[in-house]
Amino acid sequence: MLRRSFTAVLEKGATFSGEFSTEPYEAGWAHEARWFVRVLRSDERVGLQMVPQISPDGTEWCDEGSGSIRLQGAGLASMPIVNFGSWLRLRGTTTGRTGSVTVLIYLALKE
Amino acid sequence: MANHPHNRNRLCSADVRLSKYNPLPRILYFDDFDEGLNGWCELVGNHTGDLDQIRPIAKDFRPPQLSSCTYFDIGTHGSVDGTYSLKLATRPQRNHLAVAIKRMTYAARGLVQFETYVTFKSELVPDGEPSAEWDESSRWDGNVAPSERQFGEFTFSNDICVGETGPRCHGVVRYRNADPNGKLVQTWLYPTSVEPTTKMDRLGLVPSDSRPDFFAVSPEDWREVPGGRQPLCFNETASKVNWHYVRWLFDLESLRTIEFQCNDLCMDMRDLAVPMHDEEYRGLPNLLNLYVAVRTHVNVRNFLYLDSALVSVDW
Repeated sequence: MLRRSFTAVLEKGATFSGEFSTEPYEAGWAHEARWFVRVLRSDERVGLQMVPQISPDGTEWCDEGSGSIRLQGAGLASMPIVNFGSWLRLRGTTTGRTGSVTVLIYLALKE
Repeated sequence: MANHPHNRNRLCSADVRLSKYNPLPRILYFDDFDEGLNGWCELVGNHTGDLDQIRPIAKDFRPPQLSSCTYFDIGTHGSVDGTYSLKLATRPQRNHLAVAIKRMTYAARGLVQFETYVTFKSELVPDGEPSAEWDESSRWDGNVAPSERQFGEFTFSNDICVGETGPRCHGVVRYRNADPNGKLVQTWLYPTSVEPTTKMDRLGLVPSDSRPDFFAVSPEDWREVPGGRQPLCFNETASKVNWHYVRWLFDLESLRTIEFQCNDLCMDMRDLAVPMHDEEYRGLPNLLNLYVAVRTHVNVRNFLYLDSALVSVDW
């Protein structure tokens, strides 16, 4: 059988300002994951930083530790994750001036 | 299985994974979620490429997950036969709804039967406080789980469109576990109004943003299925998972639910009219969609799990 894959859209045109996190997503079946963050629009000089987090149970979280995703203005960025256990989410914050960003956030999973 | 009108399929009896089901003569699909999501995906409101066009009520139904039922106290629970189940999860926001859908078309207007094994939970967090004013954890008796009353409801719906322009209808059955005040309802319900569509919204036939119930025009438009009270096995702690058999028999000719069964309760629903849409719908000939949904009444995540799903037909 072909190896399975699945892409989840964790945020679909949601607008954030300040600190936020995505909803917990179970990915224990997957061997590898990659986050894609697309900023659709943002206020002037407002950036976005997002840090992958992992959890043993979907309720308590720590940073995954391998880096972060940074975007300034509209655009697409991604980051791979491996050896993550069963649960994934992104911790995010807007940076720069006070304002908001509107995003699409994808989690692409593969066996 | 009690009250089942069909002869058992011998092939099913010989297959361990199928022997817990009672399919009609032809299995249209059997989805074991140990093998992936099998075409169950997030329902989304209609749009032409601009996400801002999506009705707010239909924009955030959440991606389904393959869950191992893993909890902070026991680790992995697993499913009926294997590790994974299909999981729908709400946000921890009052009235939030998660919906997953599987899309097909029908080849004949006969019987369609949906069977599954299902369980439901509200989120239990370490050192968490079930903080609603109706919480009774201070007088927890060691038996009844306080989090049971934080689980709102789960819903099964189809979406049927006959021919080129309709008629179109949604057969819907809902299990309301608790009301927003934490009172256990534990009753199967059916709607008395149609499931509003994007077209109805754009025609101004229903209010948009303020409407709290995706499956009916008004949250008041629900009635108890006759004989429909049925406490289910939530168990005593939210990390203890018990699965329930569900069988939903729908007739594409009469556009009625014939029977809805959960464990040992089988409800005859053939005399209950399914609300029909007055509008004309194009692009949906022979539509045969099925969806499952979970809604929370309080600011606590609610989860619905399906071990597997089987849809069979008599055509």
